[in-house]
Amino acid sequence: MKLYLAIIFSFISFLTLAQPNCNYFLHVGDSLKYEACKESENAQGFYQFSKEFQMVMDNALEIDSTYSYAYRAKSVAYLKSGDFLEWKRLIDLAVKYDPIGNLGYRASCRHQFFNDYGGAIVDIEKLSKMTHEDIGHSANGVYHLEVVRALCYRGLGNNDKAIEIIENQLASDDYLVGIYDYIHLGVLYLEAGEFEKAKSNFENQQDYNDLAENHFYMAKVLKAQSKMADAKIELENTITLYEKGYVMHDSYVYPADKIYWSMIEKEKEDLDQ
Amino acid sequence: MKNLVLVIACISICATSCTSNSQREIQSEEKEPYLRWVGDIEFDAESDNSDFQLCYSDKDIRQYFNFSKGVQYKGEKPAIIQYFMENYQAVSSKKSGLLRIRFIVNCKGETGRFRIMSMNADYQPMDFEPQISNQILKLTKQMEGWLPIEMDQMDNMKLDYYQYLIFKIHNGKIIEIMP
Repeated sequence: MKLYLAIIFSFISFLTLAQPNCNYFLHVGDSLKYEACKESENAQGFYQFSKEFQMVMDNALEIDSTYSYAYRAKSVAYLKSGDFLEWKRLIDLAVKYDPIGNLGYRASCRHQFFNDYGGAIVDIEKLSKMTHEDIGHSANGVYHLEVVRALCYRGLGNNDKAIEIIENQLASDDYLVGIYDYIHLGVLYLEAGEFEKAKSNFENQQDYNDLAENHFYMAKVLKAQSKMADAKIELENTITLYEKGYVMHDSYVYPADKIYWSMIEKEKEDLDQ
Repeated sequence: MKNLVLVIACISICATSCTSNSQREIQSEEKEPYLRWVGDIEFDAESDNSDFQLCYSDKDIRQYFNFSKGVQYKGEKPAIIQYFMENYQAVSSKKSGLLRIRFIVNCKGETGRFRIMSMNADYQPMDFEPQISNQILKLTKQMEGWLPIEMDQMDNMKLDYYQYLIFKIHNGKIIEIMP
């Protein structure tokens, strides 16, 4: 299962960074964009932070200043270095020239890097109104944009809305469950005091993509239900998986609901009392 | 006479060449508004602590995420949050937005070359009151838990890297810290 998920994850991530097929622009009769696209192919092999990469994209934009891919490609280095001002200026231009292709991406970056919950929700809801197709996934491929929207409502304190959105998404046809979906939903139910629903989601997570986090939060549920012996077993399972490195991970940011060793130690102290 | 012609010719060639070179440099400067990498922080003798030294050269500084290990801080995010909760004094302010402090962590876990950037909720540049920005900058400079990134592929060689912290501030209070 993990291998399967990894393949899907890599595939989606790859897609989000893929260079467009320049022949498409010829096919639709846009020779200027074709030229800009061919120029942007010269960035291949350059690190996206490098001046060489940025200059190739500048050259592409000199050919066609409406070539959205080049703005988005340029924006990535600013995003990853936390330069919200230049990132936003560039990604806004990408959205301006290709809203359907970039609104979802901008939304997920707003959420992932800047915790801009309101801005991300506006982008996703705008995208939903613009297309009847599936609105797609976050920039890193981890979440469906509907789940991103749910996490943003949670960030704004509207947990009921977050639960509703994730439940609807899980119930939708042909939905490929995200690698952390059940953890987030379980934690939302845990915070709402709906312990049986929380447990059900942590069990689903265990079956789907077993991580230290689902056992940790399961221990919390069991503790809340005064099942201390079972809670201790779950905490031991947490430690085993944590030490093996089976935890929520994001190379760029600390993801929501990720657990840390200090949290495990504190929980252990509480249970040992 | 022949020598005089030769000297004049040389001066002319040199002058032309120098002019072309300087024109090329100007064009080059116009064409290359970038440093090695986006976000590189050059040493500023006026504002940077000269005691802070890189272990390697500027061109070898990496980004914190380059080796997929996430943020390297002793105690991870809970320790960062706790540090600011315990030490930051909320300031009465009507301003809200994000404040980023970017800096370098060297191979010994020491920090330097701090730079500030801030914006309002509309992603427009905005300065917070100095009581906020200077306080957060000072606290960030005093953090002691940064860890060097170790490169597994090269016998755990420790590297210098860029790191940032972004503070989400609402009416003078820190409400979230990223990444």
